[in-house]
Amino acid sequence: MIEVKGLCKYFKNVKAVDNINFTVSEGEIVGLLGENGAGKTTTLRMIATMLKPTSGTALINGYDLLKEPDKVRSNIGILFGGEAGLYDRLTARENIKYFADLNNMNENESRENIDRLVKMLDMEEYVDRRVGKFSRGMKQKVAIARSIVHNPKVMLFDEPTLGLDVTSSKIVQDFILSCKNENKAIVFSSHSMQEVEKLCDRIVIIHKGKIIEDMRVDDFKGKYGEDFEKAFVGLVGDK
Amino acid sequence: MNMKAIMIVFKKELTDLLRDKKTVIVGILIPLIIFPIMFGLIGRSVEGNIKKTSENLKIAIQSQDKSQLAVFLKSQKNITVVDSNDIKKDVQEGKIYVGLIIPQNIEESIKDEKSAEIKIIYDDTSQNSNMACNIIKSLIEEYSKEIVKSRLMSKGIDYSILTPINIKEEIAAKDEGGFGKFMLSLLLPLMLIIYGMTGPMAAATDLGAGEKERGTLEPLLTTQAGRMSLLFGKLLSITVMGFMGTVSSIIGLMIGVKAGGSVFGGDMPLLLSPITVIMIGIFVLLIIMVFGALELSISIYARSFKEAQTYLSPLTIIGMAGAYGTYMIDVKNVSTILFNVPLANVSLIIKEFIIGIYNPLHIGMTFGWNLVYIFLAVLFARYMFSKEEVIFRA
Repeated sequence: MIEVKGLCKYFKNVKAVDNINFTVSEGEIVGLLGENGAGKTTTLRMIATMLKPTSGTALINGYDLLKEPDKVRSNIGILFGGEAGLYDRLTARENIKYFADLNNMNENESRENIDRLVKMLDMEEYVDRRVGKFSRGMKQKVAIARSIVHNPKVMLFDEPTLGLDVTSSKIVQDFILSCKNENKAIVFSSHSMQEVEKLCDRIVIIHKGKIIEDMRVDDFKGKYGEDFEKAFVGLVGDK
Repeated sequence: MNMKAIMIVFKKELTDLLRDKKTVIVGILIPLIIFPIMFGLIGRSVEGNIKKTSENLKIAIQSQDKSQLAVFLKSQKNITVVDSNDIKKDVQEGKIYVGLIIPQNIEESIKDEKSAEIKIIYDDTSQNSNMACNIIKSLIEEYSKEIVKSRLMSKGIDYSILTPINIKEEIAAKDEGGFGKFMLSLLLPLMLIIYGMTGPMAAATDLGAGEKERGTLEPLLTTQAGRMSLLFGKLLSITVMGFMGTVSSIIGLMIGVKAGGSVFGGDMPLLLSPITVIMIGIFVLLIIMVFGALELSISIYARSFKEAQTYLSPLTIIGMAGAYGTYMIDVKNVSTILFNVPLANVSLIIKEFIIGIYNPLHIGMTFGWNLVYIFLAVLFARYMFSKEEVIFRA
């Protein structure tokens, strides 16, 4: 589903991402772990075609991000952490519909999908209200619906629970697990070890732009012990 | 570039902008009401002041022998003569508008056909005093002419000997309302260029830096709409908002001029034909497109709303320089070379349209050059939108 092949990204002389390779299969959640500035967001931005790789490429659902960026974008959904990034003066439905339209969905398709997501995320009460006065949790649900409205096969989560309270974090985590159940390939970037341990099948640790570990969670525990945090600090500190 | 995506972005941005009370109030409503209020208040107050002063001229006359001139002035309906012990002080303090010192021997001088000297004391820092001084001077002039007339008559000479040439003025302008058009040709290009520049600013700030600040830009870049479709959709909505803002400013200005009364020439007809208005509208639209693209490029570079506003303010000064540069140019004798100068060419072509000149060469040059400016501005916006360092500048 996702095949990252020798991706590199330089910002002037700084190597933000340095020749990374990993794969993500259908129904698999891969945790991209790293400290701030390690290259997680740059990697996700390259996979999402927002940034052009300096070298290397990635195949998303069989489409090369350099050759067919439009096809790649139609196959990915992305959810960012921090601010939900919604248009406050539009209603929740208009926010979701805008992204459905920009992803080339026809009227029937988008209406059906929006109705399904509204039901699934329990948003019936406020879907036709402007999002400006929504709570953080309500906004997060709209952002989730927006990211998945076009039925992407691949989901990218860039620190999606950053700054969220426990309830809102739970909504996001449940959504990630529901994506797994729908057999989507998922990349989940975070620096919360607990979250990674709870959600991921496999972890890829990235440090100073390079992958320093890539293994299944169970194998990781076997190799480094049960304490994820200690293992991570040990690994990153050694390099 | 995808036309369908451009229209989706355009429709959404316009809805979003029109729902923003701040943008609607600042961009459309305030320009619509500020001029009628401002011009109306200034006009009415100036008009009221003029009326008040000219209808009741408070003056003091120092005349020891009760001269005929003093009697003549006192007999005027709008003059009130008040007593004053210190004329200079009373004028300074505004108790009287003007003081007149008529010499003791004035009647003798007039009788002997000599010249007499009258002193007018007024305050040149006071509008009322200046106005009163002019009215009194013209009354004295009138009185003086009567004396000359009687002197000539006593010698059997016709009074018309003093005016060997009579001037009869005839206006050569094709249409009526020449003065009104002249005033408009001074004011309108300046206003239109300034509004063409500032009109799209609020929308450009919101759709560039605002999008970054809200965190909505990144999700947008992951959709199937390419960056160019996003850019052109945004440019289109900025242009429409800018045009709406400019139109409301001009409507406000027109209402303001009317509300201001005779002080701003509001009692004159505007006399702009629909064709003139359409032609002017086309060129204003070109200005809006140039500045809309430039403002969006700058706005997308900025990290935040505030930063965008700081970067955009110098643009207004550049634009004003272009508009003011042609303020006093007489378009009937204008050099064609000036139609190559950005902004100045639009200002001059609008002046020409108002006066009623439709010079194909000037129209072609201005239109052509502005298409070039639009092309360059859009190219710049395109460059900024495709540059990762700009889009992800945080």
